Amino acid sequence: MDHKRIAIVLAVIWGVVAILPVFFGSTNLYMHILIMCLIWSVVASCWDLIMGFAGIFSFGQVAFFVIGAYSSAIISAKFGVPPIFAVFAAGVVAGGLGVLVGLPCLKLKGAYIALVTFAVHMILEPVLKGDIGRAIGTGGSRGILTIEPMNIFGYTFLSSEPIPYFYLMLLVAIICSAIILIVIKSHWGTAFLALKDSEDFATCLGVSAFKYKLRVFALTSFLTGLVGGFYAHYVGMLSTRMLGIDLFVTLMVILVIGGVGKFPGAIIGAFITIALNELLSPLGPYRPIILGALVVVLVLLLPDGIIGLIQKILPKKNNGLPIES
Amino acid sequence: MLVEIIDVIISGMINGSVYALMAVGLTLIYGVSKAFNFAYGSFYSMGGYVAFMIFGAHINNYILVFCLAAPILFLLGYLIEKALVAPLRKRDDWEIKVMMITLGLALFLDNSYQVIFGARMKSLPTILEGSIELGDFILSYQDIIIFIFSIGGILAFRWFLNNTRTGMSVRAVAQNPAGAQIVGIPKEFVFSATFAISTVMVGMGGILLAQKYFVTPMGGWDILVKSWVITAFGGMGSIKGSLYAAFIVGMLEAFVGWHFGMNWTLIALFAVLLTTLAIRPQGLMGKWG
Amino acid sequence: MKKALTLLLILVCCLFAAQSTLAQDAIKVGVPLAMTGPYTDTGDNYWKGIKMAIDEINTNGGLLGKKLEPVRFDTQEFAPERVMQGAEYLCGKLKVDSVHAGWAGWGQDVRAYGKYTAPFFADDGSQAAVDVFKQDTKKYKNIFQLTDTGINQGQSMFNVLMALPYEYPNKKAAIITADDAWGTEVGETLKENFKAKGWKVPLHEVVPYGTNQWGPILTKIRKTKPAIIHVEIVSAQEVITFFRQFMKKPTNSILSYGYSLVPREVVGTMGKEADGLIGEVPTAMPTPKAPTPEAQAWLDKFQGIWKHLPQAGSWAAYSGVKAWATAVEAVGDEKNHDAISDYIATKGYKGETGWWKWDADHVMRAGGDVPIAHYQVQDGQMIAIFTDPPTKPYKDYKFQVPRWIKK
Repeated sequence: MDHKRIAIVLAVIWGVVAILPVFFGSTNLYMHILIMCLIWSVVASCWDLIMGFAGIFSFGQVAFFVIGAYSSAIISAKFGVPPIFAVFAAGVVAGGLGVLVGLPCLKLKGAYIALVTFAVHMILEPVLKGDIGRAIGTGGSRGILTIEPMNIFGYTFLSSEPIPYFYLMLLVAIICSAIILIVIKSHWGTAFLALKDSEDFATCLGVSAFKYKLRVFALTSFLTGLVGGFYAHYVGMLSTRMLGIDLFVTLMVILVIGGVGKFPGAIIGAFITIALNELLSPLGPYRPIILGALVVVLVLLLPDGIIGLIQKILPKKNNGLPIES
Repeated sequence: MLVEIIDVIISGMINGSVYALMAVGLTLIYGVSKAFNFAYGSFYSMGGYVAFMIFGAHINNYILVFCLAAPILFLLGYLIEKALVAPLRKRDDWEIKVMMITLGLALFLDNSYQVIFGARMKSLPTILEGSIELGDFILSYQDIIIFIFSIGGILAFRWFLNNTRTGMSVRAVAQNPAGAQIVGIPKEFVFSATFAISTVMVGMGGILLAQKYFVTPMGGWDILVKSWVITAFGGMGSIKGSLYAAFIVGMLEAFVGWHFGMNWTLIALFAVLLTTLAIRPQGLMGKWG
Repeated sequence: MKKALTLLLILVCCLFAAQSTLAQDAIKVGVPLAMTGPYTDTGDNYWKGIKMAIDEINTNGGLLGKKLEPVRFDTQEFAPERVMQGAEYLCGKLKVDSVHAGWAGWGQDVRAYGKYTAPFFADDGSQAAVDVFKQDTKKYKNIFQLTDTGINQGQSMFNVLMALPYEYPNKKAAIITADDAWGTEVGETLKENFKAKGWKVPLHEVVPYGTNQWGPILTKIRKTKPAIIHVEIVSAQEVITFFRQFMKKPTNSILSYGYSLVPREVVGTMGKEADGLIGEVPTAMPTPKAPTPEAQAWLDKFQGIWKHLPQAGSWAAYSGVKAWATAVEAVGDEKNHDAISDYIATKGYKGETGWWKWDADHVMRAGGDVPIAHYQVQDGQMIAIFTDPPTKPYKDYKFQVPRWIKK
């Protein structure tokens, strides 16, 4: 898909999402699920940008999300910073840590990067629960049970009235997806394309793989941390239980359904996956079995996810830059 | 003090042999086919459950259990590779696709175990009761058997790779798949077979460890992470590297756990891993990766 | 490709169909428990008690003439948004008239369900949950805890350890707990108590779940030879491997397992091998002989249905349903949530062993007719040897000095 088409698809998606409260606004549960869809769509898009687009096997996305959530909660509680500024500070913290993790690990190869970034995920739990965590105010294994709700210019967003928060999150999601689109469109995008085609040749031409990879890493960690902050102030409580395998797998399923490296795919994937997860929830233990089987079947039959399917059905009008390999 | 240190060294050696047993299969698949198998931990549990079912059929001899379980696991591994991994190999982005499909498979398998066998852990009879006492120290036969099996298994496997024709063709495929195919080595078959062999190895490890640590539906995740750390540390694809890494990690955990406390082991482990990778990005002895 | 899509479509349709066949005139009861993931087993224990109570009420003609209809929700791993979603689904969307949970989020649940009015019963056993409750007792008046906090349970464990008819060879204790809220709460309480009594705690170790190689810790234990080793990890795998590795070369220590004795596999797997271990169950029906004939009848009925002795939580969850049902009958309207909550808080409920009374924090404090039971494994069975508070021996069951302690 060329950029114009992505932009059109994005506009359609967000347009449709924006009118959803007309149908679901009366039930808090549905609004809550929609807000979670928006949050996961940003996290999954960031992951897609890193993994599908920049070709870095980063498995630390959930970790940066949790880091952002905790930072925002702690910053707003400890320093009395209003939540709206705390979330940006949280993004900066997550982005900074992203650079710290990226510096040593972006020089590694595929499965090694996956391991090191996943290691961040693994260590986060003992750190947050242990003495270090308690010293900076994570509440140890209890978690943080009181987090100030988001408020902007004196208006407080309460989780009991989710519609305003939904629109706030929609705005955040639109901005994040616009940023991702701009990145893909900019010379970063061209650089990654060149690196993918021939890393050696691109390096000879002066494209520094490391520099670009680090930038993408920092940017996505920042956005993920930022959204993590919004999550914290929405849900109002945090615990290390977010680091369980469930959330990680859900994000992976989103990417499989949306299509890796097919940018707006992750957003559609998030909505489909979360809805599916809720529909299957009454089935108890059969839910993850079906989800697992679905991933296997989809990877085999629909390797490019939902976007691949759309591209197959719709007549090809591919005259722009083919961003996918 | 000395007595304590020797005691800790013994625990470290026991840990190390357990880790070596877990990790060797993962390093094998990665070394040969560059595929990362997320369902590795589920195959570990599968070994335990297969043994549990065999014991359920009133077969109470471990030698028989191993003989029965090995072909079952081989067949399962072979079929899974042929059906799920092989078709993806043609794609450009097959590495990530393989990670995803095996993650889906892991989710499917783990939760299937839970539905079939229940969430509660299952135990297997102890392979050999009793222990020997050497002055202040004590070693159970269980640990000695795990140690012998893991070292023996790995050495035998290395011998097979270096000294038999089949083993050499596996190495040839690992080093240069296209070249291997040109000289007439059935590449596809080697990929499937190594996947199957790795399933057998981790499954056997699963049986051997299950009689000490039990089988649970989700128990495979810890195994996956530990094996992953060890293979990366030792150098993905290097069997000798994994062996050293396993014992270094085992010792490290024992000493950190003893001196600083058990909740520092994971942090220390990753700190050492990161430092190693920062200095040697290919791990201790990695060359194929 | 097409086949897969058709299958998916059929599946989704089936799900919708399944959801819409819910009966019309029934009282909906929400049951948020872990049905997948690492907490599945505990979720199962609570479900058995809740199901038994609901079936019992339904076979006796229902509640106010209406059938009870349980609606389950899978809380998975208790991630914050998942806990919140459970409340939105059960209370917000389905408008259930009561919620019966077990482990429910250790404080997160109070926030999530406190937004609604339907009476909510949890078995958190956590001071964190009580602290949240205290922030706004009016708003959270529908929250009821079925067990006492970890702090008080730790206190009770200490009382019984001191009351054992056994002379400790020294005044040293080792404490090993899991790194969750429960384990740390109990561990800290025990440590303070030991210190206040003039004991030393040379080893206080907080370990992550999944620890099963105990070599380094046992090295330290064998060096210090503490008179008491307390292990608080509510997961069978960890505590069994600890026991087996300890037994390779035991020290003269009483092994106190606290709440870790309850996962059914601990005694189930080890049988007589576990003889000598001691532990506790809060809000418990003491076994093998129950304290009253009614309680004995309940015990027999439970065993008849599920074919095993009740696990920790089963009876507590059962009693939660019954306490709510009693209040609904007294109030006469299941929709009048405030009156029902007030009734439960002020009147309590008379159960099989006697009265259940919730205190000002809406916690079912241990004591009175529903004490904490302390068990020892004897002949492969959990035998209640003490109840606390007040600390007193239970029936004529006696503490036995464990076989590994050499004089």
